[in-house]
Amino acid sequence: MAAFSFDWNAIRSGLPYLLQGAGLTVFIAGVAMLLALGVGMAIAILSQVPARAVRGLVRAYVEVFRNTPLLIQIFIVYFGLPQLGLRLSPFLSGLSALVLYTAAYNAEIFRAGLEAVPKGQHEAARSTGLSALQTLRHVIIPQAVRISFPALGNNLVSLVKNTSLVSVIGMVDLMFVANDISFNNFRTFEIYATTAVLYVLLVLGLTRVLNATERRMLRLR
Amino acid sequence: MNWTVIQENLPYLLRGTMSTLIIASGVVVLGTSAGVVAGLLRFVPWTWLVTVTAWIVEFIRAIPLLLQIFFVFFALPALGLDLPPYPSAILAMTLWMTANTAEVVRGGIQSIPRGQFEAARSTGLSALQTMRHVIFPQAVRRMLPPFVGVCTILVKDTSLAAIIGVFELTRATQETIERTFSSFELYLTAAAIYFVICFPLTQFSQRAEARLQRG
Repeated sequence: MAAFSFDWNAIRSGLPYLLQGAGLTVFIAGVAMLLALGVGMAIAILSQVPARAVRGLVRAYVEVFRNTPLLIQIFIVYFGLPQLGLRLSPFLSGLSALVLYTAAYNAEIFRAGLEAVPKGQHEAARSTGLSALQTLRHVIIPQAVRISFPALGNNLVSLVKNTSLVSVIGMVDLMFVANDISFNNFRTFEIYATTAVLYVLLVLGLTRVLNATERRMLRLR
Repeated sequence: MNWTVIQENLPYLLRGTMSTLIIASGVVVLGTSAGVVAGLLRFVPWTWLVTVTAWIVEFIRAIPLLLQIFFVFFALPALGLDLPPYPSAILAMTLWMTANTAEVVRGGIQSIPRGQFEAARSTGLSALQTMRHVIFPQAVRRMLPPFVGVCTILVKDTSLAAIIGVFELTRATQETIERTFSSFELYLTAAAIYFVICFPLTQFSQRAEARLQRG
């Protein structure tokens, strides 16, 4: 067979599209993380209420979404729900699956964060006259968020990589663009190698930013 | 909800499950062996080897597994290495498992206080003996929870092999849906089967972690 020759032109012509795809990956991961932080926090707070039924439901949600593959969750939303009359676009299907999956992991981290805040903080805040809700909002949650920050950062890094799965149902991200280009020009090696480098830059860049933020938070304390 | 479609196709899904379990165990065995070596390479006295290992591990861990699978299956043929779907998936997942195990091993060893190392060396043990008889046995206990966590993610991620046509649980489910059109019931069943495999692993990992915290 003919020796392989690396085609720089394929990279040169594909790179603008790949960069757009990388931008979309960042956008999707960012939006999904913001939503998953909200849902995760709400679920973590629900896990602290006295009602056993609520705690049981919350536990079930977290365990089910953490212990089944994200790909299957995406397929259930995109292929399964239409059977029940709920038809979502690839974008909404992919996004909601990513949010539900990541929120389950975030909830577990927030829960641990809430439980790590010393009990005395709670009692002290209440004794100054704050209501239970005010105590949660102004005293407990800010500390819990700070404790949770490193683990949440890891979740965001995983989410950036997990975003690649939504390409399977036709949602456009970096992985989708890479497949699209390489299946058209057949320069699979060049295009996938470039895509890998882009993911590495994204993930390592993000890790740097998160570590710097973490150090700053520790100084502030 | 159509229960009969689940009942009728359960045996086929279970055959897929067997394949999932075989793939996952094979990858765990291969990836763990390579991963322990790669993790220990971070503690050798040759700086260049430490740096190279660190870079490779970081690089692989930063790339989505799906891209690794596509790379092996679609891009390596360009270099003349044309592997069928099954070995492609095993190779890609083994790389993933190796890098993630290496990270667990590194973290476990670094969590052992330096004094342990110095004390062992001062009793006359060589560096290798210290690692083998003092550091590693203690570190293994700390590696166990995150290692089981990595294995759980691997079991879930074997589903990605379906995308390049490997027969396992997700592929078996897709094939059944092509015949029956009951995507909701069958994906839900597949999710339930993955849950039955992964939930005990997660529980074990959490208990082991809690035991460690208590000391």
